[in-house]
Parts: sequence; C-alpha cells; structure tokens
Amino acid sequence: MFLAGLPLTTLLLVGGGVALATVVLYILKLRRRPVAVPFASLWERVLKDREASTLFSQLKRWLSLLLQLAMLAALVLALGDPRPEASALAARNLVVLLDSSASMAATDVDKNRLALAKKKLLELISGLKSEDRMLLAKLDANVRALSPLTSETGVLRQAVERVRWTDTALDLQQGLTFARDVLRGLPNAEVIVISDGAFVAPAPLREPLGAKLSFVGVGKESDNLAITELSARRYPLDKSRYEVLLALENTGKKAALVELSLFGDGQVIDVSQLRVEPGERVPRFYTDLAGASQQLEARIRVLEGKDYLPNDNRAFARMPERRRAKILVVTTGNTYLEAALLLDEYLDVTQVEPSAYPPKGSFDVTILDGVAPPVALSTGARLYLNPPATGSPLKRGPKLEDFGFDTWDRKSPVLRFMDLLDVQVAIGYAFKPEPGDLVLGASELGPILVSGTRARQLFLALGFDPRDSDLVLRVAWPLLILNAINTFVEQDAEYQSAYRTGDTWRLRVPAGLETADLRRPDGSRESIPVREARAEHFGEYAGFYQLSWVGAQAPFSFAANLQDSAESRIGPQSELVVAGAKAQTVSGFESGLRQRYWGYLLIAVALVSTLEWFTYHRRLTV
Amino acid sequence: MGLFELFRRPKSGEAARTNVAAIGLFDDQFQRKLEMLALVSRRVFAGRQRAERRSKKQGSGIEFADHREYTVGDDFRTVDWNAYRRFGRLLVRLYEEEEDLSIYLLVDCSSSMGFRDERKFDQARRLCAALAYVGLANLDRVTIVGVSDEIKSTLPTTRGKGRILQVFRFLSQLQPSGVTDLEACLTKFVAQHKRRGLAVLISDLYDPAGFERGINVLRFNKFEPYVLHLVDPRDAVSDLRGDVRIYDCETGEERDVTITDGLLRKVAEAVTHYQSAIERFCASRTVPYFAANIDVPFDELVLRVFRRGGFLR
Repeated sequence: MFLAGLPLTTLLLVGGGVALATVVLYILKLRRRPVAVPFASLWERVLKDREASTLFSQLKRWLSLLLQLAMLAALVLALGDPRPEASALAARNLVVLLDSSASMAATDVDKNRLALAKKKLLELISGLKSEDRMLLAKLDANVRALSPLTSETGVLRQAVERVRWTDTALDLQQGLTFARDVLRGLPNAEVIVISDGAFVAPAPLREPLGAKLSFVGVGKESDNLAITELSARRYPLDKSRYEVLLALENTGKKAALVELSLFGDGQVIDVSQLRVEPGERVPRFYTDLAGASQQLEARIRVLEGKDYLPNDNRAFARMPERRRAKILVVTTGNTYLEAALLLDEYLDVTQVEPSAYPPKGSFDVTILDGVAPPVALSTGARLYLNPPATGSPLKRGPKLEDFGFDTWDRKSPVLRFMDLLDVQVAIGYAFKPEPGDLVLGASELGPILVSGTRARQLFLALGFDPRDSDLVLRVAWPLLILNAINTFVEQDAEYQSAYRTGDTWRLRVPAGLETADLRRPDGSRESIPVREARAEHFGEYAGFYQLSWVGAQAPFSFAANLQDSAESRIGPQSELVVAGAKAQTVSGFESGLRQRYWGYLLIAVALVSTLEWFTYHRRLTV
Repeated sequence: MGLFELFRRPKSGEAARTNVAAIGLFDDQFQRKLEMLALVSRRVFAGRQRAERRSKKQGSGIEFADHREYTVGDDFRTVDWNAYRRFGRLLVRLYEEEEDLSIYLLVDCSSSMGFRDERKFDQARRLCAALAYVGLANLDRVTIVGVSDEIKSTLPTTRGKGRILQVFRFLSQLQPSGVTDLEACLTKFVAQHKRRGLAVLISDLYDPAGFERGINVLRFNKFEPYVLHLVDPRDAVSDLRGDVRIYDCETGEERDVTITDGLLRKVAEAVTHYQSAIERFCASRTVPYFAANIDVPFDELVLRVFRRGGFLR
C-alpha cells in the first residue's frame, strides 16, 4: 500500500492538528444552558437514583469523541489516496484522442458510440493518479484540444461533456501528429485513441510517435445504409428542368430493403424502394425533373434490415441559381446570332450597334460580332466572333481558307454535346495565343477557338465569321453560344450543388469585408472570418447553410454533405494498427480511494458531524 | 394597577387597555361566576345545614346540643326538669353557641407559584377570591394572608359580600416572590391570629423544608386546616434535551444534569409521588385535601371543593 495523494508527513500534521482541536473542543468545559425548575428537590431525588448511570453518560460522551476521531482518521486517510502497491506507476503524460467523427453517432451500443466512448473516458479520468496529466482532444477531420495537459479531473470531465460528434470523417494521422507534438520530450508519454476504428488506416507518420499508443474500442455492429452521393444540375437549354444523381451504398453485411425519398423544396418528388445487397453501391438518376427551384433533399428509410448510423441517411443539394443572364450583343446585324440567343428564355439580351458601345448598365457577357472596341467596365466576359486585328485580345496569325476543326477540347464545357468534325469554313484567321490562354479548337493551320483571361475578365474568341461557314446551320452553333454564356455565368457564380464536410469552405463574398454571418443547419449562427474576399469555414455538419454579410440583398445559401463511403462503413475494429504496430490496451487506471468518492463521503460525514456538534453544544437542537 | 381601575368606567380606550392581566383575573365574567358559585353553594348544602356556619362551641344559643350533669354554680334555668322527672337526675341542657366563623385564606406567594407564566398564581388568586366571596356571602369573617417564607401581606378580617372589591384589590397587589417556608410563616400567622377558624392553605406545597411542617403548625394550634394543592402538570415537562444546568426558581440551587426522556419520566413519577405523599399525609390526619389542577377552570374547581366538603358545613 502506498499513498498517491498527500504525503504521510502532511497527513500526520493535518490529522494531528485537527484531532487535537477536536479533543480540545470536547474537553473544554462548555457553558451549560441554565434552565429554571419550580422545585429542584424533586429533581434532586431523581438524580440521586441516577448517579449510577452518570458513568454511562460520560462514556457516551467519550464514545462520541472517539467516533469523531475515527471519522477524522478516515478522512485524512482518504486525502492520502491509498492505493495497492501493484498500481504504483510513475506519473504519466497522456493525450486522449476522442473520436467524434460521424460514425460515432452509430446507435449500435447503449445510446450511441460517442456516449459510450465518453463513459469509458470518464472511467479513465477516474483512474488517474494524482500526478498523472492528461490532455483531451476531439478528433474528426480536424483535431481540437479541449483541455490543457492537466491533472485536474474536474477540468477534464467538463471537457468530456463538451464533445459532440460531427458529420466528418476521421483523420487519425492528423490526430497522431498532434499528439506527438504535444508529448514531445515528456516522460512516460502515452496516446490513447478512443474510437470505433471505422476509418481509413492512417499513413505512416513522418516521425515516430515517440509514445505508447493505446486503443479503446467502441461499437459492435456494421450494418448501415448511406447516401454517398447527391448532385443536381439544370439543363443548359431549359433551366427550369434539372437532373439528379444519387448513390446509395450498403456498407453492412446484410441485404436491406430501403425506401428512398427525394424532396424538392420540401415537397416529395419521388419515392421508391430499392433492395441493396451487402457492399453494393446503387447509383440512381432522376432525369427531366421539374418543380424544385432551390433545395433538394434525399432521405432513406430502411424497411428490412438494420441501419445503425442515421447521419448518412440524408443528403442535401442546392440547385443552381436561375437568374437571367444579361447579355450585350454588339453587332451590325447577325440573324444567326439572334436566333441562337432566342433559344434560352433566361437570357436578357441587349443589342447595340458598335457605335453605341458601351451602353448604360452592367452585363454578364458581351458578344462582339466582328468588332473589338476597347474594354468597358461592367460588360462582363467577352465572346469575340471574328475579331479584327485592332482591339482583339489575341494577335492574328496567318489567314486561313477552306479549313475546319481538326482538333477540339471535347471535355471543355464550352464544347460539350458538340461534334465539330465536319464544319466547313471559307475564310478566317488563326490566333497566336499568349501564355495562359487555352486553345479549345484548332485547324491544322493554327488555333481558331481560344479562351483566356484579359484584365481579369474571361474571353472566348472564334477566328472566323460564323456566317462564312456552315457552323450556323448546325446544332453546334446555338450550343456553342449558349455553352459559352453558361460557362461564363456559372464560373462567375462558382456553383457547387453541395460542399463536403470535413473541408475548409471558401465562399466568395464581396471584397472589403472582414467577417460574414453563417447560419448553420441547426439554426445557430457564427461570425466567420473573410480573407481575400473569401469567407472561410471548416464544415462539420451536413445540411443547408446560409451566409450573409453587410450589404447583402439576400443570404447566399448552400448545402453540405458527409458523402464519405469510408466513414459510412461503421464496422468497428477491435484493434488499431498504425504503421504496422498494434496499439495496446489501456492499463494503470485502477480507481483509488479518492476516485471512488470515499473522500467526498467522509467530508460529508465530517460536515454532518460538525453540524451536529455545533447545534448540540450551542443549544440549537437541545 | 389598582383594583379601582378595574371597576371604574374607562375614560378612553387607552385606559381600558391598562393592566390587562388584572382585568383578565377578576373581570365581569369572573364576578358573575362568583354569584353563581354562591347560589350553587347554597343549593348544595340546603337541607343539611343552614346557610351560616356555626362553631362547635357549646354555649347560650337556641339550638339544643346535649345534656350534662349539673354542677354547683350552674344556672338553674338550664336544668332540664323533664329529664329530672323521668330519670331522677339533674341534667343541664347544653345549646350550640352561634358565632361568626373565621376563614383564613392563606395564599402561597412564593416564586414557584409564579413559575413560567404565573398561571398557577393566577389560579390560586381566583380560587381564593371565589372562596372568599362564598365566605363573605355566608357572613363569615374572612381574612386573606399572603405567605411565602414570611407573611407578605394581610387583608384584615372582613365580612359581608360588599367587601369583595376589597378582596380583589388585595389579591391583585400580590406578587409571587421569595422562597417557601410554610413552617416559619404559619408560625407567625398563628401567633398573630388568636381567633381560631378554618385555615385554607392555597399552595403548590413546594417547601424545601417539607410541606408537613406548615400543615402541622395549623393543626397543633387548633386551626382547622384545609389544603388546596395547586398542581401544574407542566412542572415535570421540559422541551429541552441534553446537557443543561437546572436551578431552583426559589432558592437558586444549581445542578448540572443531562436531560433525557428517561429522566423526564422519572421526574414526572417523582411529582406524582410527591402529590400522593401530601394526600396520604392529609388523609391520615383528617385534614381535608384537594388537588387542584390548574388546567381545570376555577369555577369547576370551586364546585369540586364544595362537593368534597370541609369548607362549608
């Protein structure tokens, strides 16, 4: 037996002092409360008979003193925190990485995995030796210290209470790196990972951990169904309609029957039932949908089978904004161009003669048909059709005759859905691109379709007059015009149907701001910093967000999803292997007397005893 | 506050509020009860005795009492000639001599009578007033004496119902104080009052020297003692527990004691035993004794006294 708390000499001093004070208080002749009686002789007769029992009365008094001293001794002993010799360990420096990733919300144990993990962590805290120091950090896609390296169990318990799970995947490597940095140079260092082990095995650390690695596992089941993908886009030529891509995945070991529901702006769009085999990923396309204008949400409900993780049963997506693009057409007249622009009802077209350029107002895109006036402000991106040598963003190359597109960038959004192989051009010019420019189409004689950036504005230049070719007679012609406009507009809006949790989101806001106000899916708000016209936030929870700032006419809405099939694989691991080394089980956390509340009970006993003593001898209760 | 103020019409509300204790002691309701008691006392003894009490002294009254042998010097008018004719002996007729009875009401005024809230003393004064009223109504000579270790105050002998206000005034002025020494006090009393009579001792009999001595002084000096023992059930009760220092409210004698429920039971037994001892003493010496519980209304107590006998004959 050894004392893990106060040293023996201190205990003897404290115990001796308090015991002495107790004895003195008992021995001191206390002032008795005077009580009048009408005829003392009657009492005298009785008291004579009771003289024999006085000894017992005094014995009771001494018995009370002995009881007090016994309680005092027990209290002092508790302060000493006696423990078995077997539990004698040198003081340890501990970093606990508590998994708070999405898989810890699985309900296969007790309340959920995180609750069980916190319970186990509290048991570890209860078993801390007084010299041990512990740092608690929550670990998901990010690592965050919740307490200093301290031996104060109260601080650690409060830190445990603050831990909440997030909709992010676990990055163990980041956590281990953090723990290694914290424990660098400290003796008896130990890293304890409390997790379900449902994560991708971490890559080896650049430096050795330099500490004992222990693992506390939680979780039992692996059955789970997840929505691992959800995205939506509007059709380029009919933005009132859209298509949705969704993927389901059964990460468990049993087949499951799932009811899949798709909601648009809160209204049911589609409900279907799917049978998903173990390990199967089921993509599902919804085409030609209409109705929703802002929000999409997918939900699954397991009809047959088990689904222990609710976090990945919902996915969210934000529809691209349907605003009218303002188009300025500078031309002396081009029927084919006007016809192409009429195909999209969401274009707000303004046509001016070259002499009237620039008109009043701001525009998203300016189409310059055979002209290249100096760039004016607020005229947006530019589409040059056969630009003249003067004012063109590109220098002209050699004149070309009877040529066509020999190569073109099929992956470019400008040229998607198009086949330019048979386009015949009578006359035109090749361009001389500058570094940074992108050649989207070219004949064997030179580039004839080039995109790039000038004066921070995108441009696309076509090296011939379309009326000098059969392009205007093809479907490719309106597609080229509308694709170019959509590319310009979409690039400007930086549309993204959903952000991914576990990443730092950089959201465009007007320049000059320092902070922006973010409204989370649960309704809470947070002021987030703005750097270089980008509001930055580390996304932790799935759902719909709203970002607003000073001067914003309407908040910017966006969606966030977990969409991590690895995190949805919730099968727990009984052991943790890092860089080929297996983590050990925790040990040396046997609860001492102090941690079993004996000390608190004894303090309570002492308080009650003191209260009794005070009230008794101050005549409050007698 | 004097007794006059009790009966004069108050001039204002303030005056009416003065000396609430005295008003409560002998208020109008109390006086009405006294009238009732006087009437009841006549009904109780009607047919047995005349209203007035007579002494046993034989003398020149009109009520025949007995015969005795004629001796030289007797008045010839008292010789019963009819008896002489029948028995051939000279017998003299004896008559009961009618005289006023002297009633002495001895009120214990020691500190123990005023213990706690003076209920015992108040009850003693009410009983004294009631008995005095009955005595005055019977045209007896009533004397009230306040006793403790000495004679504290004396209401000179008076008679007639109209003197009851004087009685009230006297009783209102009595205050409980001093120790109890009935022997010394009553010795002075008998020395001062040569006319023997009924001596009603109204006391709790908490006499450290022993209650017997005081009663014996009355007995040995030809008084007719009547013991009205006031009993307060709370004397053996205490709300306190634990280590205390008790002291006698009269003598100041102290004693450290640890009060427990068991000890209080013993004290209660001792009080009962003490009362029984008094009762036995009085019974063995044919001294009328009445234990008056102060929780019983005084008028009921007075009626019990009458029914018990000894006060009126």
